Amino acid sequence: MRYLDKSIEEINKLLKDKKIKPIDLVNEAFDSIEKNSDLNAYITLNKEEAIKRAKELEDKEVDNLLFGLPIAVKDNMVTEGLRTTAASAILKDFVPIYDATVVEKIKEANMIIVGKTNMDEFAMGSSSRTSYFGAPKNPWNNEKISGGSSGGSATTVASGDVPFALGSDTGGSIRQPSSYCGLVGMKPTYGTVSRWGLIAFASSLDQIGPMTKNVLNNALLLNVISGHDSKDLTSSKKEKEDYTRLIGKDISGMKVAVPNYFMSDIVSKEVKEKIEETLEILKKNKVQVDYVDMKYLDNAVNLYQIIAMGEASSNLARFDGIRYGSSIEDASSIYEMYTKTRAKYFGEEVKRRIMVGSYLLSGENAKIYYNKALSIRDDIKKEFDRLFSDYDFVIGPTTVTTAYNLDDPMDDPSKSFMDDVLVIPVNMAGLPGLNIPVGLSKEKMPIGMHIIGNRFEEAKMYQLAAFLEKEINFEGGK
Amino acid sequence: MSKYIPTIGIEVHVELKTNTKIFSNSINGYGRMANSLTNVIDLGYPGTLPTLNEEVINLGIKAATVLNCKIRREMTFDRKNYFYPDNPKNFQITQNLTPIGYDGYVEIDDNGTKKKIYIEEMHIEEDTCKSTHRKDKTLLDFNRAGVPLIEIVTKPCISTPEEAKLYLEKLKELLFYTDVSDCKMEEGSMRADANISLRKNESDPFGTKVEIKNIGSISNVKLSLEKEMARQEKMLDNNESFKEQTRRFDSKLNDTVLMRVKETGNDYRYFPEPDIPTVIVTDEMIESVKKTIPMLPDERREKYLELGMSEINSKKLVQNRDLSDYINELLEEKIDFQQAANLLLGDISEYLNKTEKTIEETTLTKERFIDLVNNISNKTLSSKNLKDILSKVMEEESSIEEIIKSSNISNITDTDKIEKIVNEIIEANPESVSDYKNGHDRAIKYLMGQVMKETKGGVNPSIAMSILKDKLDN
Repeated sequence: MRYLDKSIEEINKLLKDKKIKPIDLVNEAFDSIEKNSDLNAYITLNKEEAIKRAKELEDKEVDNLLFGLPIAVKDNMVTEGLRTTAASAILKDFVPIYDATVVEKIKEANMIIVGKTNMDEFAMGSSSRTSYFGAPKNPWNNEKISGGSSGGSATTVASGDVPFALGSDTGGSIRQPSSYCGLVGMKPTYGTVSRWGLIAFASSLDQIGPMTKNVLNNALLLNVISGHDSKDLTSSKKEKEDYTRLIGKDISGMKVAVPNYFMSDIVSKEVKEKIEETLEILKKNKVQVDYVDMKYLDNAVNLYQIIAMGEASSNLARFDGIRYGSSIEDASSIYEMYTKTRAKYFGEEVKRRIMVGSYLLSGENAKIYYNKALSIRDDIKKEFDRLFSDYDFVIGPTTVTTAYNLDDPMDDPSKSFMDDVLVIPVNMAGLPGLNIPVGLSKEKMPIGMHIIGNRFEEAKMYQLAAFLEKEINFEGGK
Repeated sequence: MSKYIPTIGIEVHVELKTNTKIFSNSINGYGRMANSLTNVIDLGYPGTLPTLNEEVINLGIKAATVLNCKIRREMTFDRKNYFYPDNPKNFQITQNLTPIGYDGYVEIDDNGTKKKIYIEEMHIEEDTCKSTHRKDKTLLDFNRAGVPLIEIVTKPCISTPEEAKLYLEKLKELLFYTDVSDCKMEEGSMRADANISLRKNESDPFGTKVEIKNIGSISNVKLSLEKEMARQEKMLDNNESFKEQTRRFDSKLNDTVLMRVKETGNDYRYFPEPDIPTVIVTDEMIESVKKTIPMLPDERREKYLELGMSEINSKKLVQNRDLSDYINELLEEKIDFQQAANLLLGDISEYLNKTEKTIEETTLTKERFIDLVNNISNKTLSSKNLKDILSKVMEEESSIEEIIKSSNISNITDTDKIEKIVNEIIEANPESVSDYKNGHDRAIKYLMGQVMKETKGGVNPSIAMSILKDKLDN
């Protein structure tokens, strides 16, 4: 058995007792990464630096549970001196000169970055197939997508390369790939994790979060990366808390709302049945489960498209070939440089979203679409608030189906949004959402349950998730 | 009198006098090595986010207050999206929907007629970087990128180029006196755009608007508006139509030059900046900013007139803020303010210019200044004497009395002493005395010269002259 397959407490004890060194963990990680290289989980590996870092840590005191553990970072979080591409040709040679706050934090916790994971270009997509570097594959079945946009992070954790990865979630990009790959994935409350150094897709929706095989590891990593950051004005000033503190505590008496829309015909029979089974487990353990009606859920995808694409069209304007990134050489005017650079180095999906977003913000459209979307977004928030005044959680499936085939057609751009129909409302409301694997389909593909909590109630979500983890004993979890 | 009525509006950008930039902690500085005052935020690097400099909000509140604007209590920032190499993110963070100040005015005095120039709105935004064009290349200096600006937009209520000039002078004075900006047009920390249209009657709709961009000085604003009026009048007289357009003022040609004709309205795709939460302006914030507003120029001028200064001295003092601040600390004193102003604007200014010092850098404390003024008012010191001792007054710590004494110019107003000297001179120069008595007026000048020589110039000449005349005539 590899050391990395042991529990976090066991590894920590071995490190403390000097039975193993961080370099042993790093070597195991790279052995696995290299063995799994055909899964295409990484855009850039950080092997030399990781080995160097592991050796430096040999002289350091083992000061926390995550000390010396390898971690993968999604390639839209900037890393000083380590190429960061956002899976786009426009940044294919971009080496940042500063670290994202989350990167600083995992370095301070003495974790070791093994590489930058594959993703949809600028996180735009839900199968990681818009990556300039080709799609990552699902370790459960190499013919399947690992989901997106944090597909590479899901792939590398699910294949056992590393116990930890960071993902980012704008409209489900942590939870959906976690569901497809059988992982615990948390999109924390908006403002919990600093966005400083996260290459923005849609600023009012983006949030970084942990992806792991089990609940405890997930909560431990959230402990590391959360906290107020003066460099991000949207960062919450809430005091730091221990997200593991409720794990193992009794869940009886909790109240769960299941919106009928989440269990409607949009969801495949197989997924729905698995979720119903799981709800039965909860009921048996004295959790109240009520099916409820909820307004606006069916509007969320359209609203999301307007807000996300509007913001994205502005956020991606800075990639103009002047100060950094790829640039064409033979332009005869500045406008030719802009258009040729952006036409050549942005992928199709990114260009489509920039164009749609620009259109949505143009002239009167801003009023008709964007401002209207913002106001309905408030209504969605209020609708969730209404439920949370009576319930601890809102629950449903994370995805409507299990992971589909890599070679499924990509010709319908709205399909990728419909993949995320169940997870998008959470981003719109700024709420925390978590995927917990609850079983496998007949095809042996993971099915995930989506736990939505009230603002800043991640600890309680981990409590419920940890309970289900123990009860279900999902075979991918360790 | 022209047969057309001009309608003029002015937009002014001023750079705020903050230590750091608006959205980053880079230094806000001018004239430094290109790109030395930048960081990843100013350069629009991927992953960067704006922070918000509180100093900027405070200066915005201050400017809004002195421009008599209403202050927005809940405001957001907006993104103005457009591609241009001087715009690092290809969007500018500005305030489109919720400008910090609105519905204000500035009062001007046009040859005794007071008029309010109404301000539509004033908003906070970031400056762009500076482009320098060299042959087929453009050099970009991002030191200016992210420097805080406020843009102040008047209503189209200015009726003459002269009013435009008076408005800008007044605006500059107010913002300079409140330390909102140093308002140096030559360094670009104050920039003005003017727009003008002509119509025949007040009841007609506004004529075609022409904007004159980035005019380099206040006098050129007036001049360019006059030139533009003349140009438009000629066209209207010839029934020539023209399109809405942007022009610039070429000071060599002494006329406006076409930059571009406006085709369609620009679409800046404004939307609320998602990286900056709503800013709440509280009563406390407004109150604490108000406490930092000094006496404003108009009030100073009135006060100076009231205290007996001449109109010209009052105006000149307000033009020199250091000296005006200096005398403002003495407003409760019982001194001859006209004398004080003469002194500050005359010999002292001359000394400060020559030595390139500010008055605060000299040894002329408020107490010593009061003594100095009093010694002049009571004629202990003549202006000639003052010139002799001025460097000591400005550079030494000793009291004015001691300086006067040690300079051998004490008792100069002591008539007994002067009489004694005059008698001696008359006795020693009988020929000149008889020349004078025979009607040679020049002789008295010679005798006076001898008195001055004897006292090494340390005598009050008017007193000495009257004593001398008295002696000779009797």
